[in-house]
Amino acid sequence: MSKSNYGLVKLLFLTFMGLWLLITLFPFYWQIITALKSAAETNRTIPTFWPEVMHPENFIAVFAEASNFNALVDSFIIATGNTLASLFLGTLAGYAFARFPRQAGGENMAFWVLSNRMFPPVAVVLPMFFLFDATPWGTDSHITLIILYLVFNMPLATWLMMVFFRDAPRELEEAAYLDGYTPLRAFFKVTLPLVLPGMISVAMLCWIFAWNEYLFANLLVGSNVRTFTIVIPTFTHGSQSLWNLQMAFSLIAMLPPVILFILLRRYMVRGLSLGVVKG
Amino acid sequence: MVDSTAADEPAGGSLAVRRRLDRGDPSTFPEWFNTRKPRANLIVARWVPLALVGLPVLVLFCIVVYPTVWMFYHALHDTNMMRLFQSNWSFVGLENFQTVLSSERFGDSIVHLGIYLTFGAVLQVLLGAMLALILYELVKNNFLRVVLLIAMVLPMMLPPSIVGVLWKFLLTPSNGAVNQALLNLGLIDQHIEWFNAGMSLWAIIIADVWNWTALPLLIVYSGRVSLPPAVYEAARVDGAGAWTTLRRITLPMLKEVIAIAFIVRFMDAFKFVDLVFIMTSGGPAQSSELPAYIAFQRGIREFAIGEAAAYAIVIFIASAVLITLFLKYLKKVLKAQGFA
Repeated sequence: MSKSNYGLVKLLFLTFMGLWLLITLFPFYWQIITALKSAAETNRTIPTFWPEVMHPENFIAVFAEASNFNALVDSFIIATGNTLASLFLGTLAGYAFARFPRQAGGENMAFWVLSNRMFPPVAVVLPMFFLFDATPWGTDSHITLIILYLVFNMPLATWLMMVFFRDAPRELEEAAYLDGYTPLRAFFKVTLPLVLPGMISVAMLCWIFAWNEYLFANLLVGSNVRTFTIVIPTFTHGSQSLWNLQMAFSLIAMLPPVILFILLRRYMVRGLSLGVVKG
Repeated sequence: MVDSTAADEPAGGSLAVRRRLDRGDPSTFPEWFNTRKPRANLIVARWVPLALVGLPVLVLFCIVVYPTVWMFYHALHDTNMMRLFQSNWSFVGLENFQTVLSSERFGDSIVHLGIYLTFGAVLQVLLGAMLALILYELVKNNFLRVVLLIAMVLPMMLPPSIVGVLWKFLLTPSNGAVNQALLNLGLIDQHIEWFNAGMSLWAIIIADVWNWTALPLLIVYSGRVSLPPAVYEAARVDGAGAWTTLRRITLPMLKEVIAIAFIVRFMDAFKFVDLVFIMTSGGPAQSSELPAYIAFQRGIREFAIGEAAAYAIVIFIASAVLITLFLKYLKKVLKAQGFA
């Protein structure tokens, strides 16, 4: 292939990527300018591509309704509770798989744990509906979702923690044993500090997935507990459509996962080697 | 999972070794595990790993295995809401499966799934792989590359409910941004009715492609990053052009990574319901229903639990095949990377 020809092909491909970038970013642009428009302007027959008058107060007006703020709080409680639980269980299993692989059930057990992450939720949610109904706290509570989100977050935490524990040099732990540390003390004083950075990234990942989850929340909770993921789609109920507030609210709600994602780039790619990124 | 202690231990784990393991023989413990109290070792090395794994596994049994068994059981019974509360369901054999598999609703949803797989999942992987390679091979500035990668992967981090609402808004037929933009560009001369019977499935597919092309992109990109530079050096010395390098080196070496991307997207396709719930609720007139959506609908809204369970089992079996396939590939790739 001649030199100029190659340049042309290169340009073609770069244009293609540029086009895709445009498609990727346009919805975000639209979301942001809509959040800044007045309600009247969002309902025009011919939409405007730049707000005529900026209304940054929309972002505050969203919280005029207490239920919106409560939705964020509910989401936060559930995501944080689930993250702590996943991290606790994942650290236990991850440590065992990394240090005592054979005693802990070996390769097959580890892969079985991982396979739960890819499980179709439809096979889980229906029985859970009736199971949680029979518990004293009922279906409609934080604890339901905190437990259910373990289905996808715990396998992730287990596998990533397993990898981090394997990377932490075993010799340090051995040395601690020789110094007379008990296994428990060696774990807390020597190994845990080594895997702490990894652990924090796992926590962030789990938190994102629990924060974003829609399906279980939609089917199992709804009156006492409302996560923001089920509040946003029903925002326009009634005769009035409030696209500007809806977009403002969704911008606020998507900020934490986006920021965490940018911080987590490196680990994200690593998590991907396990094919486990999707919730 | 080739662990670091495997080299110190007898390979494989013969029957004799396993017996000793059962009795808690110290000689089968990892050599390095040797505290000052040998008697304590017996207990710690034998039981502590089991206890550590036991708790998470117990949780998984409660929230995954028990529900699956429950589903299998009720798929074979004529359970509905009322019978469930009176607990007087009766065994009907494979009748539920027959109802499901012969129903038009299921047949239609399979057609929808086929369309979704071809134009959603397959397109996403092809697009993602292409964009990943363009990004890696043609953008040489490191900072720019990272920024572009983040920009292209951003949609993936959005909660599905926001993706659904956003695209529902963008595709609003009367005054949505997409219709207006297409009109301004002169590509169409009247509004497209995105949420009519023929189009609603395509609306979902468009939103899904926007949302999830990032995943295969990221998978292929990270696969490309981990390919050894030495091979490319050699190819360059041998005078191989860009095309030859791509066709003879990059693509063959990324074969498994791309296969993983495909399988991941296919697995997700069987679970995929979020956007259906948010954007169309399966409508209008069930024209955008996917199998998983019907299972939810029959079970939780219409309370035909036996039938919903049969749907779930069909989906479960399809997923199980894909999961097995996926884990097989994953093991291979992880081993190749010396990762597990």
